[in-house]
Amino acid sequence: MEKKIISLTVNETTYEVAVKPWQTLLDVIRDELGLTGTKRGCGIGTCGVCTVIIDGRAILSCLTLAMECDGRCITTIEGISTAESLHPIQTSFIANGAIQCGYCTPGIIMTSKALLDENPSPCDDEIKEALAGTFCRCTGHIKIMEAVKKASQPARDKES
Amino acid sequence: MRLPRFEYRKPSTVEECLNLLQEQGTKVRILAGGTDLLVNMKYRVVCPELVLGIKGLKDLSRIVPDDKGYMSIGASVTLSEIAAHKEVAEQFPSFQKAVQSVASKHIRNMGTIGGNICLDTRCWYYNKSKLWRDAREVCHKLGGRQCHAIKGSARCHAINSSDTVPALIALGAKVKIIKKGQERIVSLKDFFQDNGAQPTVLTPDEMISTVLIPKENGKSFTTFMKITMRKGIDFAMGSIAGYLAENGKAEGELRLVIGSISSAPVTLKKTLQVIGEAGLSEASVERAALTARSELGTLTNLFTSAGYKRHLAEVLVKRALDELREMTKKSRRV
Repeated sequence: MEKKIISLTVNETTYEVAVKPWQTLLDVIRDELGLTGTKRGCGIGTCGVCTVIIDGRAILSCLTLAMECDGRCITTIEGISTAESLHPIQTSFIANGAIQCGYCTPGIIMTSKALLDENPSPCDDEIKEALAGTFCRCTGHIKIMEAVKKASQPARDKES
Repeated sequence: MRLPRFEYRKPSTVEECLNLLQEQGTKVRILAGGTDLLVNMKYRVVCPELVLGIKGLKDLSRIVPDDKGYMSIGASVTLSEIAAHKEVAEQFPSFQKAVQSVASKHIRNMGTIGGNICLDTRCWYYNKSKLWRDAREVCHKLGGRQCHAIKGSARCHAINSSDTVPALIALGAKVKIIKKGQERIVSLKDFFQDNGAQPTVLTPDEMISTVLIPKENGKSFTTFMKITMRKGIDFAMGSIAGYLAENGKAEGELRLVIGSISSAPVTLKKTLQVIGEAGLSEASVERAALTARSELGTLTNLFTSAGYKRHLAEVLVKRALDELREMTKKSRRV
């Protein structure tokens, strides 16, 4: 089958890309658009490093066909910070030492962002449940939990 | 891992989709969430020539809370949508628990109920890369005449590991199967055949359109639990769903379904006879749990040993019946 031109809005910029049916969203984001913040991991949906946000939900870009995203708005790790300032979750990850090698970090931050956007003050169990589909092989999961919790502190303070 | 090459079409109506299925049947695979199909395609376990994306089909993505005595859920409703649906949680808590327990949040955001019901069976010798698979003789699942899991077996023993299916069978759910110009409704219990290579009764030109869960008139108690290596992501090593109508003792009023230990979910019979004769008591639960061990048929050593699977069944039956017993006790107290 021929390539088909689709329109992808990634981080509020609209791209017209020619994609092949078997290209995943991850392939297109990394190889065609050059946004390499989103990582390629297991490729079978168990590690979560390729997480991006579509319609407010964290999804795995390695198991999504690019063609199925025609006309959709996608947020990747590059889209949550600006040149001047980091996203509060990113700041919290740095402040709490929730990063070692950093490979899983974009996926975990995007997963956390989807969680906090939906539920600004999650309890420990809710954080664990949301992060269950991500892996940090440097074994930093406690720090990661703490970082997400601290990032949600402002919302928690507001509530109380 | 890269995907194999294929053609992609996105039908704009269900009719168009059914026409394509009718014309090209065996060469086609339906793509909804992609969390099972694309993984299998990456492993080259399935290599369809044409992939039909059905996610945009509105007719398949609705939850109708009251549809002639049933709650009807479209096949391409995502698991996250079901888990968050208020009426599902109120009326079918065990089903909601099962949905909520599937894999991870990412996968529930993508995966659909139709996909979870049609989840392909899994096996150590089959869900491997092509290079690895090619080192052995072709097995039943790939069109050969061998089973590597049980040597000499005449059929495939790959395991059905859907979590939602046992919960749905225990609730007496049905599925609406459609093909060009026709539809049929099949009880989910009869939808599965105990053959890993051909796990469901679906023919290549058919697809599931909706899941129908009967709404309860009287009071009932339900339970679902599963045992996994880790809480997130992993497929169940064993799961159980239970249903008990209030004051129910007779057949049909108590149901227990064990999932993830064989090619089809096991609906227990002898085990329930024990309860039917003696009622739900501490002693009868113990006996029922022991009986469960013996009515599981042939088990494989896939993922866990056959002995462990029998042990799991015993433990799960005991836990499920205890929970149901506790629920009935509580409701009598109120």
